[in-house]
Amino acid sequence: MSKTKSDSLSHYELLFIVPNKYTEDEAKQVIAKTGTIIKENGGNITFEEYWGKKRLAYAIKQNHYGYYSLFEFDLEGKNLAKLDKIFRLSGEILRHQIVTKVFKSPEELKIEKERKERVEKKKAETEKEKKTDKTAVTTSPVKQNLPSNSSASNAKKVDLKDLDEKLEGILNAKDLV
Amino acid sequence: MSTKKQKDCHFCANQIEVDYKDGRTLKKFVNFYMKILPGSRTGVCAWHQRKLSSAIKRARVMALMSPTHK
Repeated sequence: MSKTKSDSLSHYELLFIVPNKYTEDEAKQVIAKTGTIIKENGGNITFEEYWGKKRLAYAIKQNHYGYYSLFEFDLEGKNLAKLDKIFRLSGEILRHQIVTKVFKSPEELKIEKERKERVEKKKAETEKEKKTDKTAVTTSPVKQNLPSNSSASNAKKVDLKDLDEKLEGILNAKDLV
Repeated sequence: MSTKKQKDCHFCANQIEVDYKDGRTLKKFVNFYMKILPGSRTGVCAWHQRKLSSAIKRARVMALMSPTHK
């Protein structure tokens, strides 16, 4: 939470936990309520995310589980302390945290996405190269084994051919008899 | 969970922002006792190490990460 209380609009991020004593539907009602509280205090919600029920890393007031939810909103700095107090005093929210966040326009987000994709592509390529190296190493002994295998199979094939010829000969002989 | 002798900063190399909500990546930069590891050990640059330490502390507040190993 920022300590400066400017009148200008700034971008904030609120993460809060609704305790496990509520059912999922009730928790969603609480989340909707917090959304309305933000709006009532002059906030403009830009992003909303429901994480669902999660296990807490440590028990908070005998609660081992909680419903996480995330809000991003624009708010005047002077209203922040008031909003923070409302959440702090409400019994419905187990814990909350408001963090200042740099607002990103969709264009900036696009550029970031492209960057991430590029990095992932590079990663995939390097992994492929590594894999090909490994396969090359593994294939060489197989190749050495191959001729012996093929010769064995050839020998078997020859055997089969011989057998066929013998069988035919026997059959012919039977016909003759 | 520590990464041994990484030359590049994890966040610079992959162009990731440090996020307190991403507990899984934060766990890499914490030892068995859930103490924040120094940048010299994890290879994180000084600029990101500052962001990282505050992110881990925020994650601890929101019970996304345990402050102790138990």
